[in-house]
Amino acid sequence: MATAGTSNMQAKLVLLGDMGAGKSSLVLRFVKGQFQEFQESTIGAAFFSQTVAVNDVTVKFEIWDTAGQERYHSLAPMYYRGAAAAIIVFDITNNDSFVRAKKWVQELQRQGNENLVMALAGNKLDLASKRKVESEEAQSYAEENGLFYLETSAKSAQNVNELFYEIAKKLPKAQPIQSSGGMVLNDSPMERTAKSSCCA
Amino acid sequence: MGVSSKTFTFFSILRHTTMVKQANSSSKKVSTEESEVIFVKENVSMRPTQDVSQQISGRFRILKRDSALFMTWIPYIPKNYVRTAFSVNSYKPSERDRNLYSIRAIPLAEIKSIWRHTPPLGWQYIIVVLNSGLAFPPLYFHNGGIRELLNKLKEHIRIVRSIHNANLYLLNEVIEDPLQKSLSSLELRDVLSVTSSAVLQEQSLPVFHSEDERSMEKLAIKGSTPSSGIDQWKFGTKQTHRHEESNPSAYQTLRPTEQLKETINDEMASTSVGSFELVESKLSDVPLSVWGRARLPPLESEEWATFLDSEGRVVDSKALRKRIFYGGLGHHLRQEVWKFLLGYHQYDSTYVEREERRAHKLKEYRILKAQWQTISDEQAKRFAKFRERKSCVEKDVVRTDRVLPFYAGDDNPNVSILHDILVTYSFYNFDLGYCQGMNDFLSPILFVMQDESEAFWCFVALMEHLAPNFNQDQNGMHSQLLAVSKLVELLDSSLHKYLKQADCLNYFFCFRWILIQFKREFEYENVMRLWEVLWTYFITEHFHLYLCVAILKKYKKKIMEEKMDFDCLLKFINGLSGHINLEAALRDAESLCVLAGNTGALCIPAGTPPSLTANMM
Repeated sequence: MATAGTSNMQAKLVLLGDMGAGKSSLVLRFVKGQFQEFQESTIGAAFFSQTVAVNDVTVKFEIWDTAGQERYHSLAPMYYRGAAAAIIVFDITNNDSFVRAKKWVQELQRQGNENLVMALAGNKLDLASKRKVESEEAQSYAEENGLFYLETSAKSAQNVNELFYEIAKKLPKAQPIQSSGGMVLNDSPMERTAKSSCCA
Repeated sequence: MGVSSKTFTFFSILRHTTMVKQANSSSKKVSTEESEVIFVKENVSMRPTQDVSQQISGRFRILKRDSALFMTWIPYIPKNYVRTAFSVNSYKPSERDRNLYSIRAIPLAEIKSIWRHTPPLGWQYIIVVLNSGLAFPPLYFHNGGIRELLNKLKEHIRIVRSIHNANLYLLNEVIEDPLQKSLSSLELRDVLSVTSSAVLQEQSLPVFHSEDERSMEKLAIKGSTPSSGIDQWKFGTKQTHRHEESNPSAYQTLRPTEQLKETINDEMASTSVGSFELVESKLSDVPLSVWGRARLPPLESEEWATFLDSEGRVVDSKALRKRIFYGGLGHHLRQEVWKFLLGYHQYDSTYVEREERRAHKLKEYRILKAQWQTISDEQAKRFAKFRERKSCVEKDVVRTDRVLPFYAGDDNPNVSILHDILVTYSFYNFDLGYCQGMNDFLSPILFVMQDESEAFWCFVALMEHLAPNFNQDQNGMHSQLLAVSKLVELLDSSLHKYLKQADCLNYFFCFRWILIQFKREFEYENVMRLWEVLWTYFITEHFHLYLCVAILKKYKKKIMEEKMDFDCLLKFINGLSGHINLEAALRDAESLCVLAGNTGALCIPAGTPPSLTANMM
């Protein structure tokens, strides 16, 4: 759960999604500013932390990166339990991964945590020419289900910091910022802030 | 499908030492005669191994005594063994297994929840999860009665059905149980065992340096009047036991330990409870390597030739395995020798027989491979499972060890071979399929074999005993994680206590270590070295679990000083990758294994992977 201090808070965040969708790559881009073309599969889980600043508040994300294969599904609740936020990742060039993302959304909804901030990330935007999942489709699915949708590229870093920023802003007790159900952020002022504050 | 109905599997499964403890004493406190039977069900079984025919049947009861409720499950003794439709082969569990798995009297206050599983096919079963997060293996109700059980419980305690999962019944918020304390006092037994080890090590320090077994004899110094003090040790020494059965030479190494234990028993019998902590603290400071033998240089061709007769048979496989255990193999020998270690070739096969087998197995491989290669695109459209498997393999092979020259670069044919072998395996073992982590196992095997068919069959041989790591229900992983937890409890009680209070006893931070046998923790060369050492199954087939303990012990101080919680611990453990000194860790693990002796082996539930066939030992 997100816990607030005077001007900083901690938030547990979990990444879920099909294998090979880019969960680890998104985290590594966000936490270390790195990208590996052949990022190895995650066995078990990995844990990272990274702090971002939203207005006067800092949010320290405690990030759980999970194994994607259905076989290891039974381990996932251990990692998403008590999470303040979840990023459900799919690969825009792979329709099956979108189907799987929807299943994750359903599963999280069943947990009944109303405060859970959920983001849907359509990753591999750098491969937009091979796109199989249309932005509109993912966007409208996200809106219907109360998530926000962002298309990202861990490879090019596009929208990666924005993704985490948007989550930080939406966390309860973070500063109230007007935001609608879903928006695709393409503007850059945020990016500058992100770089200065979280990519140590 | 109710996804969260599978969540039980992240609890470790509790089946070993706790139950031995209960077998020894709690039954005295909660005898059946003085208790009221609230519920009884016959033909409730537990399955120690994957082999259903080896399940153990018993009587499940809920007892009430002094207003506290207890759950018990006692296996039938073989002569009265009730034949069920299922036990047609009249499998008779050993006394050891019956003692091991018995649930003598677990207070309901210690039970956190009960999962009810009623699969459309097969028997319904429950999984009992304790407050600690540990769980007993599934209890199969062959005559039904789970609903009855839950209804009966509801009459006595508060049970809440989880709103998230209709099959999960929560038993917490049960009134504090006065008897619970008396049961938890049984922890004393573990304290004793650890203390004994501590004394043992301390005495050993000035005396010897482990170079050979003779120096160990010096350890047996202080005579050994048999003690009547602590029955657990006697239990341990009397047991014939896998370590020794498999390996008489290891027994030599163990013997002084056993004698010392008896000496210690004398001392401990007259020692007050208060002094345990003091002695125990010394254990952590003792450098472990005093027990491990000096490691040898790798086995090379000239010496290898001395193990073979003129027709190519390995004359003394035990001696060979011992040699490899202590030194590993020169790289150029791996291709030949791994096939024996993995069980693909028999030690007593000749050059000629092996060549014939190679040709025969190549044909067989081609047939298996053709099974999926001949699936047309049209057919694949209607074969979702095939598409899904192939796609999983495709996603993983392109990111398997690509930094190695052997797998690097675009269109690397070795990556395609990885793919083909894994897809073929998923047809060879269709029930298991492809699981993430198999690629990690296959990569070094292919690298060593340099041959598709031979690599495939070696991989098959490895999966023969490691497939349980990948079971859907994660049972194989759970029993290994539980064994590590029990070994740490035995070998380092302060670390155990720390992990307990930090709520880390599920040991999931060791998941990656165990699932792929440390593949991600070492450089490639060292992974191969470690695997060949593990695959000798020389001192024990569960050496990798002692290795877990050795590494945890090594970093214990840091873990405890920095007060790592589960998150930090997982991050820390993952971050150890590439920083573990393999040779030192192997020595430490050997020390721990010797030190733990029989008691250590008793921490490891029967059927814990790798499950070996007799011809490999």
